[in-house]
Amino acid sequence: MQKNSQQRINSERFWDALPPPWNSDIQETLTCIQVRVETHDVKSFIFATPDNSGFTFRPGQFITLELEIEGETINRCYTISSTPTRPHTLSITVKRVPNGSVSNWLHDNLKAGDSVRVLGAAGEFTCVTFPADKYLFLSAGSGITPLMSMARTHFDLSDDRDITFIHSARTPDDIIFERELALIASSQQNFRTCFICERLGARRDWHGPTGMLSLSALTLMAPDFMEREIFVCGPAPYMKAVRSMLDAAGFERQHYHEESFSFENLPEEVREGVLEAVLEAHQEDAPNTELEVAALTPSTEVGALALLSEVTSFKVMFQKSAREIVCGAQQHVLEAARATGVRLASSCAQGMCGTCKVKLISGQVAMQHKGGIRQREIDQGMVLLCCSKPLTDLVIDK
Amino acid sequence: MKVSKQIQDLITKRLKGHSLDAPFYLSPEIFDLDIKEIFSKHWIQVAIDPDIPEPGDYVTVDIGRNSIVILRDDDMSVRAHHNVCRHRGARLCSEHKGSVGNLVCPYHQWTYNLTGELIYAEHMGDQFKHSEHHLKSVHVENLAGLIFICLAEVPPQDFSVMRDAMMPYLLPHGLQDCKIAKQVDLIEDANWKLTMENNRECYHCATNHPELTASLFEYGFGYQPSPNNIEQVEEFTRLAAERSAQWESANLPSQEIDRLDDLITGFRTQRLPLDRGGESQTLDGRVASGILLGDFDRADLGGLSFWTQPNSWHHFMSDHIVSFSVFPISAEKTLVRTKWLVQKDAREGIDYQLDNLTAVWNATNDQDKMLVELSQKGANSDAYQPGPYSPYTEGLVEKFCKWYIDRLTESIDVIDSSDSVEPITFIKSIKS
Repeated sequence: MQKNSQQRINSERFWDALPPPWNSDIQETLTCIQVRVETHDVKSFIFATPDNSGFTFRPGQFITLELEIEGETINRCYTISSTPTRPHTLSITVKRVPNGSVSNWLHDNLKAGDSVRVLGAAGEFTCVTFPADKYLFLSAGSGITPLMSMARTHFDLSDDRDITFIHSARTPDDIIFERELALIASSQQNFRTCFICERLGARRDWHGPTGMLSLSALTLMAPDFMEREIFVCGPAPYMKAVRSMLDAAGFERQHYHEESFSFENLPEEVREGVLEAVLEAHQEDAPNTELEVAALTPSTEVGALALLSEVTSFKVMFQKSAREIVCGAQQHVLEAARATGVRLASSCAQGMCGTCKVKLISGQVAMQHKGGIRQREIDQGMVLLCCSKPLTDLVIDK
Repeated sequence: MKVSKQIQDLITKRLKGHSLDAPFYLSPEIFDLDIKEIFSKHWIQVAIDPDIPEPGDYVTVDIGRNSIVILRDDDMSVRAHHNVCRHRGARLCSEHKGSVGNLVCPYHQWTYNLTGELIYAEHMGDQFKHSEHHLKSVHVENLAGLIFICLAEVPPQDFSVMRDAMMPYLLPHGLQDCKIAKQVDLIEDANWKLTMENNRECYHCATNHPELTASLFEYGFGYQPSPNNIEQVEEFTRLAAERSAQWESANLPSQEIDRLDDLITGFRTQRLPLDRGGESQTLDGRVASGILLGDFDRADLGGLSFWTQPNSWHHFMSDHIVSFSVFPISAEKTLVRTKWLVQKDAREGIDYQLDNLTAVWNATNDQDKMLVELSQKGANSDAYQPGPYSPYTEGLVEKFCKWYIDRLTESIDVIDSSDSVEPITFIKSIKS
């Protein structure tokens, strides 16, 4: 049985037997048929199609909502919390974000009977294409939604896979889907849940672990985590912490998957919406805009907020040529330099040839090279500008 | 390879037990033959592991007109490729040594990974097949840290004979855990064979190499007994037997293996006792480095010598290794590359003094350079004619020459006189 169900869930043919999946370019109008309160600041919005056709997608994917808020069109990405194995409805689960214009609008306005325009499911963050005997799902805050979709799918298909689901929440009362996860765990032999809360909050009887997820906590909760296929979703600082934690343990990156949104790959209208939101946030110039909040607070709007942080920009100073440019957080430095008319030697633009190797005098970058630079060169402060995105302001010896 | 009748005659009519005819040391045509038949078809010792300790490290060597890049891949294996871009032939690595991420042609940035696959080439269109333009690779063998390459399509298959025989001798010295303390490139104005011949005998040692013979017993390489030396030779023989027994019981092979002229991949080895301090080839015979190699716990392990045909010799001691490779440049010019290796944690100025480490072989190399250049000058003289080798002290020189002549004999095809486009004239007659 185990074998068969495994073959099903990781088989594209199995999923293709359903009606054709949404193409992310196809826009549909969906009807909100129910709003469920999950926690004090989290709601799930359940949708159906007007003609009752089913939803086909991969567990872990996201949709893009196109909303009219105060006369403006705003696009936001939300990962789907429901499961394709219950094809008649589709849900997103949204947490209020302080000053978050879209999440608060949804909480305060969207109700059963309303229509919403939606771009079809997209994204590669799914367990479907990464078959494994053992999974580890790590989530924080509303980052739980794509992992919940995966967990629900395994449960619905009676695929009793060895899954350890570790969720981080602010307090026990902030744990989303707590009871449903407990139900799944009690019905399956190999499904385990662990919750770790930053603090006790109102539930003084909580006897789960408190604090932040650490390597030692992870080792206690999933001693065999090194053997597991790991899926991670949560706020950017959480995912960054998990990444460095797993790197420190020597975990192989090829078995690590995190929800991330690539700005370049999104439909044009989504990008515009995001840019507008960013401009708006910058114009307000308040320290507590959605941008800053994004870095600190678990949010349903993981996707949108990730996008927002992606278009944050940094100053890049080329010391020898005394040129200063601005580079987006999600932009390669070489590309930004080129756009500003700063000419640097480069060729492959993929991190292979090393032509654009320079010394980074100060600052930090996220570099994804393909063999064009050696670790010891990196250790000496060299970077390839073609595949480096700034994490801070930079000073470059060029 | 097709050669003229005159060259064939020189090869087939070589007088055994005598030095080679002058054209072997002078003729550009024979030099070309040496490059094509000797250096491009046999296993040539070109580098050592400590040349390229880390992934991406490379070293280039010239074999005739071919430049070869030898590098360390990410999986720590050693690879060798022709140093020629498959685009328009530009040289990829122009330095003797360096480190790369991928191999990138400086001309148009064609990019190859370390296995030699072309992974990036801009502007070549959709039809362009990267897989048809990988670098031309060269065979590599790594013998306990000594790196050999062979440019032939099908290299000599008997490398394994040398490997199997030599591994037990070499491995205890831990060459792979050494670093290069010093490298000296010496250009000798002499044919490469004179350099090699000089290396294969110690007839000249006592009078020419005072530094070397401080520790090196000249008797170890053949000696004609005489009433004057009988006591010393007997004492050496007794010492060699005694030390050999000790070494063997400590799993350090010492017996002579001589396959210099009966294998295509010819080689010879022997571990011999050293004089004075008895520990190392230094001026006082004591170790030059305080950190011993491998797992050695005593220093008096003699000198293990390893000779390979056609272009290298190496001395392995308890504390350091001296490695020599010979690269022909032209008929009358040769590069001798010497590397002094110490255990990689040894600190210069603390565990060893560079001057002390290199004193013996720096002096010896300079003396040998002078000697082979004298020989080269002599070969240019009208009066030169092949002279007899000493049956006692020059047996290994004869083996080198025999191997060389045998290898040429096997490879040559004579050009019909009708094919011969231009007459062959030897340098000697031109010069006169």
